Amino acid sequence: MSSETANGAGASLSADLPVGWVSRIKRLSPTLALAWTVVLIVLLWAVFPSAFTSYSGTEGVPGTQLRAPSEEHVLGTDGLGRDLYARIVYGARHSLTGAFVAVSVGLLLGTLLGLIAGARSGWLDAAIMRLVDSLLAVPSLLLSLSIIVILGFGTVNVAIAVGAVSIARFARLARSEVVRVRRSDYVEAAFGSGGTFWAVLYRHVLPNSLTSVIALAALQFGSAILAISTLGFLGYGAPPPTPEWGLLIAEGRNYLSRAWWLTAAPGLVVVLVVLSADRISKAIGRTEP
Amino acid sequence: MVHYLLGRFGQALAVLALTFTAAFLLLQVLPGDAIMIKFMAPEMALTPEQIADIRAAYGADLPLWERYLSTVGQFLTGNFGYSIQAGVPVSKLLLTNLPSTLLLASLGFTAALILTILLAAASNMTGMGWLRAGLQALPSLFISVPVFWLGIMLIQIFSFQLGLVSVISPGPVEKLVLPVMTLAIPISAPLAQILMRNIDQVLTQPFVAVARAKGASRSWVLWRHVARNALLPTLTIAGVLFGELLAGAVVTEAVFGLSGLGGLTYQAVGNHDTAVLQAIVVISALAFVTINLIVDLLYPVLDPRLGSKVGATA
Amino acid sequence: MFQIQSRRFIIGAAASLATLSLAGLALGSGNAFAQAPVKGGVLIYLEQQPHDNLYPPAGGFYPNGGVLNQITDKLTYQNPKTLEIEPWIAESWTVNADATEFTFKIRPGVTFSDGTPLDANAVAKNFDTYGLGNKAQKLPISEVLTNYKGSEVVDPLTVKFFFSRPSVGFLQGTSVIGSGLVSLKTLSLPFEALGDATKIIGSGPFVVTNEVLGRELTMTARQDYAWGPKNLEHQGRAHLDGIKYVVTPEDSVRIGALLAGQAQVIRQVQAYDEKQVQSKGFIIYAPSTRGINNSIVFRPDNPLVSDVRVRRALLHATNTKEIVATLFSENYPQAKSIIASTAQGFVDNSGKLAYDPALAAKLLDEAGWTVGPRNLRQKDGKELVLTAYESLPQPQNKETLQLVAQQWAKVGVKLNVLAGDAGSRVADNLDPAKTPVAPAMVGRADPDVIRSQYYPTTRNVLLQKGGVSQKVQNFSDEKLNKLLEDIAVATDPVKRLALVGEVQAYVIDQGYAIPVFEEPQAFAASPRVKGFTFEAVGRPSFYSTWIAPK
Repeated sequence: MSSETANGAGASLSADLPVGWVSRIKRLSPTLALAWTVVLIVLLWAVFPSAFTSYSGTEGVPGTQLRAPSEEHVLGTDGLGRDLYARIVYGARHSLTGAFVAVSVGLLLGTLLGLIAGARSGWLDAAIMRLVDSLLAVPSLLLSLSIIVILGFGTVNVAIAVGAVSIARFARLARSEVVRVRRSDYVEAAFGSGGTFWAVLYRHVLPNSLTSVIALAALQFGSAILAISTLGFLGYGAPPPTPEWGLLIAEGRNYLSRAWWLTAAPGLVVVLVVLSADRISKAIGRTEP
Repeated sequence: MVHYLLGRFGQALAVLALTFTAAFLLLQVLPGDAIMIKFMAPEMALTPEQIADIRAAYGADLPLWERYLSTVGQFLTGNFGYSIQAGVPVSKLLLTNLPSTLLLASLGFTAALILTILLAAASNMTGMGWLRAGLQALPSLFISVPVFWLGIMLIQIFSFQLGLVSVISPGPVEKLVLPVMTLAIPISAPLAQILMRNIDQVLTQPFVAVARAKGASRSWVLWRHVARNALLPTLTIAGVLFGELLAGAVVTEAVFGLSGLGGLTYQAVGNHDTAVLQAIVVISALAFVTINLIVDLLYPVLDPRLGSKVGATA
Repeated sequence: MFQIQSRRFIIGAAASLATLSLAGLALGSGNAFAQAPVKGGVLIYLEQQPHDNLYPPAGGFYPNGGVLNQITDKLTYQNPKTLEIEPWIAESWTVNADATEFTFKIRPGVTFSDGTPLDANAVAKNFDTYGLGNKAQKLPISEVLTNYKGSEVVDPLTVKFFFSRPSVGFLQGTSVIGSGLVSLKTLSLPFEALGDATKIIGSGPFVVTNEVLGRELTMTARQDYAWGPKNLEHQGRAHLDGIKYVVTPEDSVRIGALLAGQAQVIRQVQAYDEKQVQSKGFIIYAPSTRGINNSIVFRPDNPLVSDVRVRRALLHATNTKEIVATLFSENYPQAKSIIASTAQGFVDNSGKLAYDPALAAKLLDEAGWTVGPRNLRQKDGKELVLTAYESLPQPQNKETLQLVAQQWAKVGVKLNVLAGDAGSRVADNLDPAKTPVAPAMVGRADPDVIRSQYYPTTRNVLLQKGGVSQKVQNFSDEKLNKLLEDIAVATDPVKRLALVGEVQAYVIDQGYAIPVFEEPQAFAASPRVKGFTFEAVGRPSFYSTWIAPK
């Protein structure tokens, strides 16, 4: 059943790109547009934080601590007199970098493992997949925490720890996709017409198995932000005064009875970004035949 | 079939052995060790000689391979070693912590399944488009909320504001209400997403149209044909979710102050209590392998069409 | 002899009483109210962290002390108001002239909760263990007992202790949490078995009847308890039927549970929550810990801070007034010396602790650290970047260090604040190269606390050579150590307090420590909780506590 559909996907991806984009934008649903808007704003925060706020993201003004939201401080200030909105804006860079690194680690290592396993069946496949199984068998949080303890605390290290956990998921998906594509007629044909293993892999197998992997990557982007925030809650986040979103939620929760917005506001931002990532992931997944 | 069973069993054992060894090596790399953390704290005021004595008493000064072999030997004979931090055998820690987490995790998983089915059923039964869209978006929302935040909010709302449940000295059932909710909501999200997608897929299959044409009602078709076909793939990821459950338990137990495997894991990592961590890895690997084995073996039973295919994928 | 000794002690205590301020300290005890105490009821107490080990000398850690204080009795009782030593399990005592021999008369009829007698033999075994340690059981020596030689059971109710050098601090040392008396059976257990609270058999007003490790503790009142401190108004069994300790790490859950009536007393209320708690009619208790102030200490073994000018510059670059005003409340007085103003031997050093960024900059210039690019000071191509781990038990320590970092940045010094797992924190804090700066505090109502904080073989906060850490290259301050040794052996209380004053001045002059604020233990309680008291350094005591009816 996979042969025609895979063929169709290959054709539409290579030939009709411009047409595809136009029609895609026309068909853009309002929720998807909203999702892209959220992502765009957050990306702009990450790149040009100072364009969005005049306050510092890390330095507070003693004496102005724990102010309620007002015109001066849209989302109030924290215990050290730091503007919360500014911290969220400056935090975008840290959180997005973290999520990006995490997804890259999982995507690259996982896809590579899955690709090799799927392409080279036999003992190598079995060995890799058992390794992947044992990655899944270790409780993810235990693995993340141990990696952070070994590598040390910091935005990138936390991201690596989160990414390592998703390697198994990417590997499994990539393998199943590769196996699906590999069994298709045109790949068989490519082998038959004398293509070397790696060439066929690169030319035919990789592009045709990537769509769902990329959809998973978008989805993992959201979960990575969540996982990083959970590590922050457990005391394994980036060192202060990094304004990373997860840390903002985690630190703000201590002030819950005094200033609930300190944890609610960054929480809402994370929910919106993760929802957007999820929506975009679905949209990518749907283009998959 | 016997060959297949043996193969699957062998794979399971290989995964166990691999996990055990990898975890052992990983834990050896942790900087500092439990003995140092516990006994070198300045307020203990021990001399370096005393610490060396303690180290020898725990066998921590042996070479790596000797410790590995003795750990393997210990686990094979059912001895999980000794927790340096807690000062009790690991088996005692597990005995006190495992049951509560198993209860929490199984209730959480059951609640998640019920929530999943309710969501999927509701979104497929309702005629109203906007309600359907809203219900279908709900799992995405569930998956977007940090678990610890959800737990804290549930406590604030249901316990402190509404006064419905006590979190400090609750009854045996009361104690589990909010933690199970906290655990179930994020777990239900991926399950619901997969189930909804599968239902949609199955609904486009020709046999559904045939059944509808024969005059079957929508809900009858849903229960009779779709549910079964759509539940199968959902079951597959259940095995993978076990790890998520434990991760969820760490956070849930921390927020609600419950005792259990999650809290134990968290403390053991912080104190580099390797014996405890090794035991937790072994238990969770065992659970993972067993659940997946059962799912794999159940698959052909539940879906006879797959009976022949299974041999090929193994 | 007893009278002479106690009068000498009063002189010492009075000296510190002159400066003792009880402002902000609400010692609401039963006698302040006309209401008669109500018997019965179980009090729910929320603790922030689980206890780790209940070997009494490990009671310095607050969660440990909070448990031990209910289940163990001490030989003597230090009156938290006067700091005077009063009879408890010891009815009376004598001390020889050079403070090397102490004889205690034990109160008759006292039993441990397992029924065994608390007699001279039991007391002797307790102090032999605490004073000499036990290698086989891995039991360390108590930090309050120095130069301990041994004991002698004179008769079933008389015990005598011998010291190799004068040890004036010992009398007060018998009243502290670390000298709680436990049964012989408990003493025979190895150190690691003492994490289990049900194994700790004391003679106190409460007995641990159930424990969920790391989560929950149930204590039940002993019906036959009849040996509370002699001078307390309340005698006989505890008013409460029991106490339930619940470990609740989440700040918001502790506060919420208290306000919602699900708990009666909670520990560790953050300063920012105080107002809200009080506005709802709840009571904040913030007893002083009377010990070493919440401070930032340097590890001069690290070349970055080996120059006294650098350390003094950072001292003057720290605006402690701003820290207290921003993060804390009036329950956290700004530090005036390295020990609390309620501690014995306190000398006001606030003149030396002034915030003066200009002086700081000048000192750094003199030390050769010039402002380079990125506004960071550098010398020989090295930047002045320091690192410290946050200390979890200290109130808002992460915020405090961040504010300090912000202040130091103004004079061109960077302070990295690390969060870390428990293990890495312990390991790195023993290595001056990794942690040139560290937060520190300890509570104990005796001048000896200053010795145990700085002396190499005890807490060794400056990381001198000769302590447990193997990472120290060569830092050692003989002058400081000599002063500290003199405190331990000084027999004349006046001279002893004078030495304590000298150490304070010396530590500040050397810029070894930057005292920030006087740390209280902050509790919040329901207004219905009466007679909630504290021992001398702020650990809760529920012996006289009762719950008023609604």
